[in-house]
Order: sequence, then C-alpha cells, then structure tokens
Amino acid sequence: MNAEFTELLRPFLKFAGPDEITEEARLRDLGLDSMREIELLFAIEDTFGVAVPDDKLVDSTFATAGGLWGVVEELRAPVGGGTR
Amino acid sequence: MPESTPAPTATPAAAPAGRHAGAAAALAGTDRAGDRAGIRAALAGVDPADPRAVWRALGVAGITAGLYPDGAQPHPGRLAALLTELDARCPLGVTLSVCVQVATVAPLLAGTEGPAERARRGMLRGETVVALAVTDAAGSGSDLLDATTRVKFGAGTATLDGGKDWITNATSCDAALVLARHRESRHFTSFCWLLVPAAAPGVSTESAGRAFAGAGVGHLRFAGVALDGDAVVGRPGRALAAFARQAGVERLAGALWARAMCHRLLAGLLDWLRRRPAAEGTLWDRPAIRERYARCLVAVRQLDALCASSLASPHAVPAAATGMVLKVAAAETVDRVTTEAVRLRGADAFRDGGESQVRAEAAMFGIAGGATGAMLAGIADHADELVGDVS
Repeated sequence: MNAEFTELLRPFLKFAGPDEITEEARLRDLGLDSMREIELLFAIEDTFGVAVPDDKLVDSTFATAGGLWGVVEELRAPVGGGTR
Repeated sequence: MPESTPAPTATPAAAPAGRHAGAAAALAGTDRAGDRAGIRAALAGVDPADPRAVWRALGVAGITAGLYPDGAQPHPGRLAALLTELDARCPLGVTLSVCVQVATVAPLLAGTEGPAERARRGMLRGETVVALAVTDAAGSGSDLLDATTRVKFGAGTATLDGGKDWITNATSCDAALVLARHRESRHFTSFCWLLVPAAAPGVSTESAGRAFAGAGVGHLRFAGVALDGDAVVGRPGRALAAFARQAGVERLAGALWARAMCHRLLAGLLDWLRRRPAAEGTLWDRPAIRERYARCLVAVRQLDALCASSLASPHAVPAAATGMVLKVAAAETVDRVTTEAVRLRGADAFRDGGESQVRAEAAMFGIAGGATGAMLAGIADHADELVGDVS
C-alpha cells in the first residue's frame, strides 16, 4: 500500500491511533462504520481519480486495508499493465 | 404557523450592506431581492395552504427549474430565497413538502433516463409530486442498514415488498423514490433507488394524522409491487452513497429554512413585546425580557454565520461534517427561539397557529433527516477536521 493511501485511510479509522496500518488490518475493527465507509469511498474516488464499478461495490471490498488498496490499484492501472 | 409576520427583507449574512452589496450578489451569481420578488409574484393569489397549488405555481413560473442553474444541485442563494418566501406565507407542512422535493428528490433524479427523468421534468414544471421514501417501517430512521424493504430483480422486472413510515408527500404524491434493499448484506452497497408510481397495484397509503398539515405525511406499503426494470434509478449499490451526499444539501436547506423561520418569529415577537403594555411601559422595557430576547438573537446570528459560507458558494453540496454541524445548529436554534417565544408570549402563544403550535411541529428540525444524537456522533467522528487550526 502506498503512503498516500494509508494517510487517506487513517482519519476514517478512529481506533487506529498512530500504529502502522497493515494490509491485513480489518477496517471495521479499526472503527470504520457504514457512514464513514461512504465518505471513504468518495475520498478515494476524488483522490485517486477512479470510479469504483458496480461489481466492486460490495462489502468485501471494504473488509481489509489491503483488499481496498487492491481495488484502487487495479482501477488505477493502465489497460494492459499493472503497477505492482 | 400560518401567522404572516413579514419576513425580513434581507438577512445580514446573505446580503451585505453598503456599496459592495450589489457586487457581492453578482459574485454569488444571484440577485436575492430579485429572486424573492419573482417568488412572491409566482405565489400571488395562490392558496398558501394548498401544497399542490403552491408546487404548481412555482413550476409554472419557472421558479423550481431556476433553482438548478448548473444542473443537478440547487443554487444555495435561490434555495434560501425560496424557503424564506415559503416560510413567510405557508404552513410549515407546505414548506416541508416543497423543501424535500427541491433539496433531495429532484437532485437524486438528475442525470437519469426513462421514467425518472420524466418525473424530474414533471417536478420542475410543477406537475408531478415525488415523495422520498427512506425511513423504513421496520427500523429506525437513524440506521438505514436495518431496512427490510426489499426488491427482487427478475428478467427486466423488479418486485418490491415492504413499507416506509412518516414519509412527506406520501398521501399526495404521483410517485415515490423508494430506498430498497437488493442484497442481504448489512452494508451501504446493498441498496438501490426505485421510482414507484403511487397508483401501481400493491401500493397503499395511510395518512399519519393531522400533524404537518399540507405535507401529506403518511405511511407507504408495498405488497408485491411489480415494476419494470427501468424503475431502478441510478446505479444499484450507490443509493445510500448518493443519499448521504444529498443529505448534506438537505441539511443546508433545513438550516436556511430554520434561519428564515427564526428571523420571522423574532421579528413578530419583538413587535409584540414592544406593544404589550406592562406597568407604565411595555414588556420590551424590562431588562430580563430584553436579555432573553437578546440570547435568541445571538443564537440566530450564529446560525446566520454558519450559513454564510454556503450562501456565498454557487454549489450547495457541503462537506459531510459541515452538513451535520448545520443540522444540529439549526435544530438547537429553532428550539431555543420557539421555546423562548412561547414563554415570553405566555397564553397568547396558544392561539391558533401560534408559537406553541410552531414549536411542536418545528421539533422535526431535530429529528427528520438525521436526529441530533446521530448528528453529534457523526460530528465527533470528524473531530480532528473540525478542531482544525485557527492560527
């Protein structure tokens, strides 16, 4: 996960504190509730210039930090190549 | 409520005095006095207690369509002008009927096709009334994730079951924009919008009673309502996100309306206090009463200040935290002003349409569209952002 993503994520996680946010971190456990998930969706789309497609608009997309980053990175990747 | 104390002709936050006033209005992209004159002309001769007549008059005169100069969202200054004029002449319920449609329903229908777009065009013309059906009969309005109103999709069809309670315009609408669950997961992505004709087989409506006269508040029930696939409005899975963003506009509209109501009530109260004999003078001569009145003025001017930045913007979508702060401030200011107005006027407050009745109905500012407790929880989530840096 890149630093920009984790710094964007941190204000939405009221229980995260200053600790590192790992890919395995479960966002609900760190305090992400449903309304904040919506705000996080808007923040991600605005910051990274992506639009999360319908097939990714499911609860599992927001389960872990790494899973959400994976979706963002996939959407940012140019056609025919990735950034990983 | 229908007492017609003249509304202030200009509010300090909205219309800066002095030689820069015209320039400021031009920069804001609106001529507030002109907007209000146009609204007054549109409503001249219209029964202010007839919500359909008011809605139709606003549509015919182009007032409703003119709220959206840039597309989907209402212009804050024009929205303020409309709500101020409606508050000055209509029962609270009629203003509520218009407010929810212009601030929430029409924007949610923008950018769509098919029946939704036709409904929106009908709304702008004042021909079509569309209710917003969100609060579920089976759960709390503050926790939409528990909603049980469900839609099942078939091949080009949709079937709706469930119910919605305390819905503005329920008993008078042509259609309802219904928030329905299309997936079982308790998640914001599990909901979609459906545009449901009020006359569709399986739709029934029950009045919620006499409160909010003119708002058509009622309960909607959906029993196996068969809809075409194009009844879905927007992208499935985005409904709650779209609603959350639009809630900010609705909260701004509520604050603008609350502000107009408080200015109107305080103007009427001041006039009454100055005329009410007491000893050898009037009630307004008494320091204790002047202080209580002044505290209301402070509260209203604080609400004015909170609204000022939104009014200076051509865009009506406030940040989430700003919307929640506006909502709480509006509710608390209305409560303070209406409570003090009742106390100061005493028995006179209980006349038909008096402050006592206004206070009872205006309690909705702390409930509808987000209860104050839920708003405060959300505000706390934004503590770092709101504490900010004043240096």
